[in-house]
Amino acid sequence: MQHNEPLNDRNVSEQSPYFYVDIEAYPTTGWDKFKQVIKRSFKGELFVGLWVVMREMIKFDIHTVQYPKEKLPIGPRYRAVHKLLRLWESGYERCIGCGLCEKICISDCIRMDTKIDENSRKEVTEYSINLGRCIFCGYCAEVCPELAIVHGQRYENGSEQRAHFVIKDDMLTPLDWLTSGQQAEFPGFGAITPNESVTKTPLAY
Amino acid sequence: MIEFTINNQPVTALKGETILQVARKTGFYIPTMCYIEKTKPCASCRLCVVEADSVDGLILSCQTPPTQGLAVTIDSDRLQQERTNIMRLYDVNHPLECGVCDKSGACDLQNKTLEFGISAQHFSAKDQNRKIEHWGLINYDPSLCILCEKCVHVCNEIIGDDAITLQFGGYKSAVVPKNSEKLDCTFCGECIAVCPVGALVSSQFQYSANAWELTQIPATCAHCSAGCSLTYEVKHTSNSNGAKPKIYRVTNNFEVATLCGAGRFGFDFDIQASKDNELFEKAVASFKNAKAIRFSSLITNEEAMILQRLKAKMGIKLFNEEARGYQSFMSAYSSVSGKSAFSGSLDAIAQSDGIIVLGGRVSADNPAVRYAMTTAARHNGARVVYMHPLEDALLQNVITQMVRYEAGSEEGVVAMLAQTLLKNCDISDETKGFLDSLDDGYLCAESNVGDEEFDRIAASLRRAKRKTLIIGSDVLHHKRAANIARLCGLIEKYSDYSLVIIPQNVNTVGVSLICDLDQDEKISDVVGYNAKGDFIVGSLGEYDMALPSLNQQEGTFVSLNYQLLSTNVAVAFEGYCLNDITTSLGVKAENTIDYTVQLPTEKGFKAVEFDALGNFYGPLGEDNRGYQLETMDCTIDGVLEEIEDLPEFNGTVVYYSNPVNQFNGYTARTSQLEHDTSLRGSAQFAAAARLSGGERIQIEGANTVRTFILDESLKGTIALVPTFDTSFGGLPETYRFEKIKLIKVGS
Repeated sequence: MQHNEPLNDRNVSEQSPYFYVDIEAYPTTGWDKFKQVIKRSFKGELFVGLWVVMREMIKFDIHTVQYPKEKLPIGPRYRAVHKLLRLWESGYERCIGCGLCEKICISDCIRMDTKIDENSRKEVTEYSINLGRCIFCGYCAEVCPELAIVHGQRYENGSEQRAHFVIKDDMLTPLDWLTSGQQAEFPGFGAITPNESVTKTPLAY
Repeated sequence: MIEFTINNQPVTALKGETILQVARKTGFYIPTMCYIEKTKPCASCRLCVVEADSVDGLILSCQTPPTQGLAVTIDSDRLQQERTNIMRLYDVNHPLECGVCDKSGACDLQNKTLEFGISAQHFSAKDQNRKIEHWGLINYDPSLCILCEKCVHVCNEIIGDDAITLQFGGYKSAVVPKNSEKLDCTFCGECIAVCPVGALVSSQFQYSANAWELTQIPATCAHCSAGCSLTYEVKHTSNSNGAKPKIYRVTNNFEVATLCGAGRFGFDFDIQASKDNELFEKAVASFKNAKAIRFSSLITNEEAMILQRLKAKMGIKLFNEEARGYQSFMSAYSSVSGKSAFSGSLDAIAQSDGIIVLGGRVSADNPAVRYAMTTAARHNGARVVYMHPLEDALLQNVITQMVRYEAGSEEGVVAMLAQTLLKNCDISDETKGFLDSLDDGYLCAESNVGDEEFDRIAASLRRAKRKTLIIGSDVLHHKRAANIARLCGLIEKYSDYSLVIIPQNVNTVGVSLICDLDQDEKISDVVGYNAKGDFIVGSLGEYDMALPSLNQQEGTFVSLNYQLLSTNVAVAFEGYCLNDITTSLGVKAENTIDYTVQLPTEKGFKAVEFDALGNFYGPLGEDNRGYQLETMDCTIDGVLEEIEDLPEFNGTVVYYSNPVNQFNGYTARTSQLEHDTSLRGSAQFAAAARLSGGERIQIEGANTVRTFILDESLKGTIALVPTFDTSFGGLPETYRFEKIKLIKVGS
């Protein structure tokens, strides 16, 4: 369906809602300038603005976001500090240690170590992102075949050390978060909607 | 020369070449999955199919030689369809575990699947329950296996272990150990190398790194004199600050070269040290006061050169009995043959169709020689005569004639062999006189090798065209080594045999060419470099000051092929190196490799900078490693001596020989290789020495306590004693057979 928005006529004319603001001519002589200062200082214009603030305060209908107590929701595509997610059904780490994020990282800031675990599976022992180098391009999240590494929503990077955000334990969803359903999922290809239908896949069948 | 066309382009093939080989040589691409240059075609993948004008069906280019005027088409819609279907079949139920698979990123199946654009499974089959096998150093996952048979071919044709085979069962087919439950082989790991997918993997390496994360450092194996090319693959060990990189695995160019288990699994022998100035001053002082430096041949040419310069400057002596033995053997040899080096090489062995091995347990001493012999036997049907006092079970599939002589009688045996091999050759009267004057009866009786055995050798090798005589390291330190060497020189000079004399250590040849060695004396004030001394530097045994081990140095070796090969630093060493010590003594160089270009040209070295040396094989297998040393002409002034009375070895006799994959102190401290330090003897030996299996014994004069193991595969009265575990490792610098006294230690 074609959608035609009527073109606003922004020309100033009798019909249009636009009009010229009446602006006084700028003072040119010293006397005129002095007069303007005196006029503006004692006319009480200053209190006009203060009154607006006061009026709004008394109304108790405040639109200001009470940051940091209150935060605006952030778009799912926002690329903030990385998160490592867990599988809803089993609580295992999603990361299989394939190393694609490490490979694709254009600023070469991801590093991981893996080993074979007692069940002959690949286990990620260490995972870190050097935030000093990371440019938050999002390639790692894009390439991840398991939706294991994602960009989280946490944009506050104030800390004594950048490294505080990007050690595996900090990035990984804590198990109690997972059980209480606090792990955020990011819509996109392959993303799941956590509900009862998500069950553990048996390894042997 | 056969002329034919590929895609209407005229090409020529040499006799014996296949269509695939010609296509590769001339730059045409034919996809393959199972083809490996060094074995006979496996012909299992059928991906290399081509069309020819004279044939209706498709032909396998890997095993078909072209005929004159044949018009071959290597790409058409029909072929593309055929190949795509093969790839579809390969991908049926192939586990989608590329994410964790070790091979991912370097996988033939991945590459070809993408090449043919197989994005969906077109065929289906009921998946089987396949169990992952754990075979010690090797893990096998049958569900990843594509049954290309490369591993089986390599194991059988190149290595000679013949340890794995294909169990046929349609879709259930798998690679299984041959004739046994568990894999029983020498663990060369070549099957891991050739596996195009992740089915056969190193159990220690598995899941620890991805192919693309590893930094590849081309180097030369430091364990034996074959100087095989290998690549150390290095990666960081941890994410934490200050974590050092380590070697994760060793790979090789398996298409053309082969690596033994020691090279592949014995890589973690690097050591660590820091710059300790106090210790450094002490080392410099002890070098200053030294009357001699004793060193081993586990050394680069450059460092040998430094020691030689030090000798020239300070007038000290250089002791290295092992290399001196080789040096004097080769000079006696050259004094008859007229050449500074022997004419054979590993390639020559692999291409020969008649081989005599004398005086060495090649399967343990130098696996590369064994592999070359296996290749010759399997590919050329070579007749292999193995002459040694001890039988070798590992060679039983390869040898056609076993000749057992008495320990110590090598001089007599070589003389008789020379007489046999030179029978119809055009030799000088003097030589003829010498050979005719040999006391056949005495020599045959004392060496226990009958006339008829020599006749059989002559008869079985009569038809052979390319013949090689391999001289093992037993004779190098024989009491009569010089005369044995002259006899060998005689064979080289007059017969059509090319000789290979196997040096013991990685750079025995280099040291023997570079250093003027003195006879070892038991004097004080000796600095040991990886050898005994009053002050020991190095990386072997109990050293006073650590110097980098051979995978932490750059430098060059000279292999038994008389080829100069370069090696590189796999893991950094943070302490001092020999060059630092000698620089403060006045033998100055900024880097150790500054000496590479200064290696003595009169000995056959070339004035080539280290950085100009190649260390790789070309796409068609061309050897671009280092350079070949020039063979120098020598004055022929050697005079053959009368054969001395052959010594007798009676009583408890042992043979110093390491188990397969163990060579020296470096291999002794690697984590993956088996460290079997037991004395092994046959039932006959046990009876003679009054021992029973499992008893703890000690050789008189040595302080290592060993377990005696009754080995069913051994025969005769001589037992095998390993030496890799003793302080500096390596074979002894004396004759390898020795009469000893055994002391029982407890029970």
